[in-house]
Amino acid sequence: MKKYLAAIICGFGAGVLQIVPFVKSFSCCMILPLAAFISLLLDQRATRIFEKIPMKKALIFGLFTGLFAALFGSVFEILITFITKHNDVIASFTDLQRIVQNLPLSEEIKKEILNLFQSVREDILKNGFSLLYTFSVIFNNFIVNSIFGSVGGLIGAQIINSRLNNQSVGK
Amino acid sequence: MKRSYSLTLFFLFLIWFLGIFIEWFIKIDEQLVFALPFLQKTYSLVCHQEKNKLLLFGGIETLTCARCTGIYLGLLLSSFFVLIKLPRWKLHIKLLLIAAAPMIADVLFASLNIYVYSKLIAFFTGLLLGSTGFFYLYAGLNNLILELKK
Repeated sequence: MKKYLAAIICGFGAGVLQIVPFVKSFSCCMILPLAAFISLLLDQRATRIFEKIPMKKALIFGLFTGLFAALFGSVFEILITFITKHNDVIASFTDLQRIVQNLPLSEEIKKEILNLFQSVREDILKNGFSLLYTFSVIFNNFIVNSIFGSVGGLIGAQIINSRLNNQSVGK
Repeated sequence: MKRSYSLTLFFLFLIWFLGIFIEWFIKIDEQLVFALPFLQKTYSLVCHQEKNKLLLFGGIETLTCARCTGIYLGLLLSSFFVLIKLPRWKLHIKLLLIAAAPMIADVLFASLNIYVYSKLIAFFTGLLLGSTGFFYLYAGLNNLILELKK
């Protein structure tokens, strides 16, 4: 576990940036790739090995950063929802209603989708927990964060390695 | 990198990019409306989705802001470019910094109210970074494949 301490730290940071209200407004697509890049830099400093980073290691570090971001992010989001009984679904419900009403859909479909979301909204307002929402948070976080983390790891390693020697692509 | 890998990469970016425009596709197949809230959540992980920064076409919004849409379009265009012609130029960190500089400057200037946020500037600065950044990802994947083959 100590081997991946840098990935845990950066994953925690990225997870927090994605979840905490107000802070998350600064969140963008660069957060996770940057976290993966920083984790590689941190690992270099911790191990004091400043050699070229193998791509396999970069991928694993990026993936772990993403997975830890997903783990922390999911836990925080589910906990915050449970405590505050409020989240994005509740905040954006009127928006969703507006979007659905404006779309050229049959009344049956409109009713069905709004009922589905109404039930999720009611569960969260009443219990602070919705199974569908929790599943959506965990699934999204783990898939998206691991992909963006891996991408960040690969690009980050390219940047770090390019400082050592220029490389050509398309071999 | 094998052309089949490049093609897979292109299709993955294409799917991700098309997901941003889900509201358009709902017009074609209304069952896709059930994916809308799920995709909103997916893209919210990688974009702040501020209402005033989303792209709007014919009353329908994108799921990511102008800047992120630009980045993803840049990635998609570059992934298409490598299908046609394999780049053989040398990658240097300076190139990425040059491509990132306009975006960083735009974020700073717009945040500090030096000028008013413009979706067009945000989109094109994102496009520049996305299209350049792809080549670093491509080189990384290429090196990874070479490493795994050893």
